[in-house]
Amino acid sequence: MSIRILTIEDDERIRTAVRFALEDEGWSVLEAETGEQALEGFNSMAPDLVLVDIGLPGIDGFEVCRELRRGSDVPIIMVTARDDTHDVVAGLEAGADDYVTKPIAPKELSARIRALLRRVKPEDATAAPRTVGDLEIIPDEGVVRKNGEEIHLTKTEFHLLCELSDQLGKVLSREHLLEEVWGYDYFGDGRLVDVHVRRLRTKVEPDPAHPRHVVTVRGMGYKLQA
Amino acid sequence: MTKRGLLWRRLPLRTRVIGAFTLGAAVAALVLVVITYGLSRQSMLQQREESSQRQFFANARQVQSSLRAEDPDLTQLLESLPSLSGSRSIVRTGDEIWTSLSLTPSDLPVPLITSVLESSEARTMRYRLDNEPVFAFGLQLQPSAASTFNEVAYFEVVPLAEVENTLESLALILLVGGVLTVLVGVGIGLWASGGLLRPLTDISDAARSIARGRFDTRLEEVSDPDLDALVGSFNEMAAAMENRITRDARFSSDVSHELRSPLMTLRASIDVMQHRREELSDRTQQALDLLNDEVIRFENLVQDLLDLSRSDSGPMENDLVNIEELVKATLTSADGDIALEVAATAEGALVMGDKRRLAQVLDNLLRNAEKYGDGATQVTIISTGSAIEIAVEDDGPGVAPSERQLIFERFTRGAAARKRGAGDGAGLGLALVDEHARRHGGNARVEGREGRTGARFIVSLPKAGHR
Repeated sequence: MSIRILTIEDDERIRTAVRFALEDEGWSVLEAETGEQALEGFNSMAPDLVLVDIGLPGIDGFEVCRELRRGSDVPIIMVTARDDTHDVVAGLEAGADDYVTKPIAPKELSARIRALLRRVKPEDATAAPRTVGDLEIIPDEGVVRKNGEEIHLTKTEFHLLCELSDQLGKVLSREHLLEEVWGYDYFGDGRLVDVHVRRLRTKVEPDPAHPRHVVTVRGMGYKLQA
Repeated sequence: MTKRGLLWRRLPLRTRVIGAFTLGAAVAALVLVVITYGLSRQSMLQQREESSQRQFFANARQVQSSLRAEDPDLTQLLESLPSLSGSRSIVRTGDEIWTSLSLTPSDLPVPLITSVLESSEARTMRYRLDNEPVFAFGLQLQPSAASTFNEVAYFEVVPLAEVENTLESLALILLVGGVLTVLVGVGIGLWASGGLLRPLTDISDAARSIARGRFDTRLEEVSDPDLDALVGSFNEMAAAMENRITRDARFSSDVSHELRSPLMTLRASIDVMQHRREELSDRTQQALDLLNDEVIRFENLVQDLLDLSRSDSGPMENDLVNIEELVKATLTSADGDIALEVAATAEGALVMGDKRRLAQVLDNLLRNAEKYGDGATQVTIISTGSAIEIAVEDDGPGVAPSERQLIFERFTRGAAARKRGAGDGAGLGLALVDEHARRHGGNARVEGREGRTGARFIVSLPKAGHR
């Protein structure tokens, strides 16, 4: 079965043009005109990835992200006409895995989609299970346990944690993490890493305000420690 | 306006305030000193005169009574008379003279003697004897009928040196007091001018901060009604300006956003067509290429406009950026064949700023060289103490000295650029370079190259910790 991508976009012309472009990549494209429509049909459509426009009529893209995240770890790319800090960070906080800015060239969009889809497959998660303090990480199964209890991470958060635990105690730069986790070159947006680290902390840290495991090293990056 | 007035007005405000206070204090001190000295002197002399006079009359009565004796020993009497602070006595008859110690008849001024002999009243005179100020009193006495004397007069000379000494001390004290008062006046002038000029300093600081781009700078409210009006109007002006700038920035940002949606449709549709190129006729393919080129140009224009409007307002990402890494990455993605030279002192240098905007700065310089200067030939990174400089050189026609400022303005292109890149580029690239450099606390400039054609564009950025 081919990969299914759901695009949530109110502008019919953009929706159609994007559908053509994505279908040229061999993917099947599902469409929703509003956030309400998308949330309603989400379970029956069961997409592999969601493209959501921020500026939707009715409930906006941020809300759609939050609603989807309640019950799904489907990769979400948000499409925004504004790439100022506020919108980008709000979208990522709402649960988006990545963002692209209009007008995005289909080639770049496909590259972003491919990077997210590739990570979702467990092919590179072959490393041995590892224990970091009260955390137990099993890459093969995509499972993280805190004090023996399984905690729920999105695929991106999981990938980020695996990457950090691969080189336990070593400081990894944001550029390095952007490349390994999101597939970006030098010019990836460091805010992706920052927001995901923040979200990861709320799930794995005993006290997210004073992180013990995922530590910021000012001016250098992040490291994982027991 | 008199010439003096003009000169006064030309002096700095601070000097004038201090000057006014000093002058005021000096005049006040002078008046006080003169009046105090005058009054004290008058009252002390008067007091001395009165007490001396009382003594004089008492002595005169004693001499008068001794004259009743047959043959009075006047010399002994004069010696025995009580003397007030060194007063000396003299008795003068028509042809005889008795004096107490160290006084000769010639020590009495003739006018006094004359006026005493002509009157029955006591006479007083102040004069200098042996360079010492003295009071002299004189009174004609009435000898008894039996006496052989006629025209008897009694005189007393009282030295005033003691009073003079006291007055001298007083004058010295008053002088010191006067000088102190003037100094205090200068001090108050300094303090007052400081207080007076404080609001002006605050305002000039605020204005400078606004000029540097902190448009939300406001002055603190003050309770002084005079200053309050000034502070109020200054803050109003700042608010109006901030409002206007924000509105302008929002307008261009809104326009750009509205343009981005149709561009997305255009971009995606063109790509779909490019994907099916072989299905199209030659002519349609050429038309598609034209369309594609124009859409790219349009995309760049919208992106530049948006970046410019953002550099006016939006916040900036602040990270430590390794300039060498940034330049290398940018040159790699520009995939030209451009030589990079990094000075040893500039290796690993860090700048606090927005990685992608800094990359855009370099990218725009490369694009500029590409369009108007036959492509960049060399990129150099050097360190100049507190700043790091990125220079992009080309072998093109260069930039005329008269245009070296102008080309960094929005929608402006140099003469050479207009000739070469007719119709291409809107003149925003270098404006963005300049604005981004400024937002990072640096600047952009262009210079010629020694002994050869071409241009060298230089972006100077403060090193992290030097801003």
